[in-house]
Amino acid sequence: MDRRKFMKVGAAAAGVAAFPAMASAQTTGGMFDLTIEAVDSEMIDGVFVFSLMFFDRSEEGRPILEVTEGEVVTINVTNLDTRPHGFGIPGIPAASVASIPPGGKATVRFTAPIAGSYLYIDPTLAPLNRILGLYGAFIVHPALGTTASGSPTPLSRATHTPAITALFDALGNSERFPGNKWVPHDVERDKVWVFSQVDPLIAERVDAGEAVPPASVVPSFVPRYFMINGLSGYDAAPHKVDATTDWSKGAGRIMPHGRQGQPTVIRNMNAGLCSHSPHIHGNHVFKLTESLPSGAISVATSIYELDSWPLPPLSRQDLLLPFERPRDAPVWPPKDEPFPMRYVMHCHTEMSQTAAGGNYPQGLVTHWEMTASL
Amino acid sequence: MQAADWTKTGVQGEVTYATFGCNPFQESNFPTPDRVKPDVNVERQMEVSYDITAPDGKKIRLWTFTDPLARTEAGRAPMYPSPTMRFRQGQIVHSTLEPKKNAHTIHHHGIEPTTVNDGVGHVSFEVNARYTYQFQPTRAGTFFYHCHRNTVKHFEMGMFGMLIVDPPEGPGTLFSGGPKYDVEKIWCLDDMDSRWHDNPNHDAGLCGEDVGLNIFRPDYFFLSGVFNNRTTTDPRAVINAKLGETILIRLLNASYSVLETTMALPGTCHIMDGCALGIEPWNAPLPLPANRPFIMSTAQRRDIIIRPTARGTFPVRFRFLDWITGQVQHNGRGIVDTRIIVS
Repeated sequence: MDRRKFMKVGAAAAGVAAFPAMASAQTTGGMFDLTIEAVDSEMIDGVFVFSLMFFDRSEEGRPILEVTEGEVVTINVTNLDTRPHGFGIPGIPAASVASIPPGGKATVRFTAPIAGSYLYIDPTLAPLNRILGLYGAFIVHPALGTTASGSPTPLSRATHTPAITALFDALGNSERFPGNKWVPHDVERDKVWVFSQVDPLIAERVDAGEAVPPASVVPSFVPRYFMINGLSGYDAAPHKVDATTDWSKGAGRIMPHGRQGQPTVIRNMNAGLCSHSPHIHGNHVFKLTESLPSGAISVATSIYELDSWPLPPLSRQDLLLPFERPRDAPVWPPKDEPFPMRYVMHCHTEMSQTAAGGNYPQGLVTHWEMTASL
Repeated sequence: MQAADWTKTGVQGEVTYATFGCNPFQESNFPTPDRVKPDVNVERQMEVSYDITAPDGKKIRLWTFTDPLARTEAGRAPMYPSPTMRFRQGQIVHSTLEPKKNAHTIHHHGIEPTTVNDGVGHVSFEVNARYTYQFQPTRAGTFFYHCHRNTVKHFEMGMFGMLIVDPPEGPGTLFSGGPKYDVEKIWCLDDMDSRWHDNPNHDAGLCGEDVGLNIFRPDYFFLSGVFNNRTTTDPRAVINAKLGETILIRLLNASYSVLETTMALPGTCHIMDGCALGIEPWNAPLPLPANRPFIMSTAQRRDIIIRPTARGTFPVRFRFLDWITGQVQHNGRGIVDTRIIVS
């Protein structure tokens, strides 16, 4: 217990060694060293809960792994926990290790597949080890993502549908979407929302050494904390934005931020066991992709504009937040009301808005900010 | 009317852990910014002691919005769901909230106004006394409105109603250039966990106490306010159409369950979440084959057109699925049945 990482979040976290929220681990040349470790992780209400997490060399919890399509990816996984674990990326069968003993190390090597958003997880004792915290985002950027007309997209051209081409070609190039095209390789225009939930009682049983039967997890799961990238409520958005804000990690990687006409991709995934219904205010989102039961990515042939969308367990969906002017504001730009326009995103299955049975809205919520009109 | 002090709101005030949750920004008579002359005014007050009686005799306490401007006494009375708002696309709407008790807000769900007109306390303010929300709906379709204070509790207690935007042509046309319809039906699906309704505290759980709002075990199920023991006969639920007529169903999942819908007639979804399909080049109307279940998560809307080709009685079944187990709620009893009768 004493040798465990002790992870605080939010404003109180300054100066401690480990940080639970996801950080970007780009520019690694496709080489990653991950460890699996037990931690005591602080919830939004100050309660510490036993968790298991992937770390990388930067001591960042649940690093976001980013690669380019076609790149050879090497992931070394060292199990520093006292229990056996494994590694897998649904949708990438080659990225799989059946079991890594305590203290052991394993390596997966594979060629990065078509662009899109993936989850890396510990698939052993499913879903137990995943819901104890062993998950993270694996993002594949396209080798060639532009449309034939040169509009950047987050998806491989070979997978583009006419709908994808029409939408990204319209950005910055139509009456509806004045402003910019989508900008690739910019963490301000590329956000990650990995949802999860925490059941402290199941965590406590595992921590006490009990062999919790995996088949018993779903029927007995009572989540008390609901998270985006490991953060809840107040902690899931930066509240003081300035030139020093780090958009690559923590709440900065969650909160979309920009002026009108700066479309932003959101990679929305669910590592947990609850079927969520994320709802966004201010703009609808465009649903670009979703994962199939096999883990493969399906690119939309009909792109729906949604303000609420189902996100079942292990689902991965790429969305586009257009940063359009709020279309139903009769006066635009506003003269009396100051910027930024700030709009929440929360799960509408509202039990997810709680922490420890109350504390609304310290659950699965963040917001996005529009700093100026065009 | 007071001058706007933005530093006392979530817009320019200091956002802290407390203002985010336990002690959010609240305002009375805040002046609507960029106010322009409205085309239509609606007003909502609240009634927090409205009881309905379940088929088993249990009284369930509801909180509802009421419409003080309604022309009839029945229209001004508490009802569940709360009274429908209906506007014409392009109208400038002033929607005024006058809470009689405690602070509340109105979020006009799917409408996209400026931040202070969006009704979320921690980024703007909650309304202690009278605020006029201003917006101008630019899309025809099906929306709803609900209180966004302690939403987990207030939405469940019944503080929501439908919001319909008609195109300039008026009712009978779904959207300009879209299908016309003869028979319109609102199907608003809801579930209630009666234990939650036994707690009268508006602020339940807000400041740290565990009031069990993470655990939802619904025991009552509704279609447009009708308990599921009467949804195959009650005219609020059953659709009656003549052969040759076009039916529009405005479908909302207002429950905290995953809603699975199976209809014995084929339909076509022409609007999703208030966005017409087939207008932009990147989408098309979505066929909904007969007897093939489709899923809607909380707050999603579908505007579905049905053109029956034969007379008959066609069953429709809604199953309310638990968000974790995927099982039908209430030990398999979380089902609403209704019918489409084509004569």
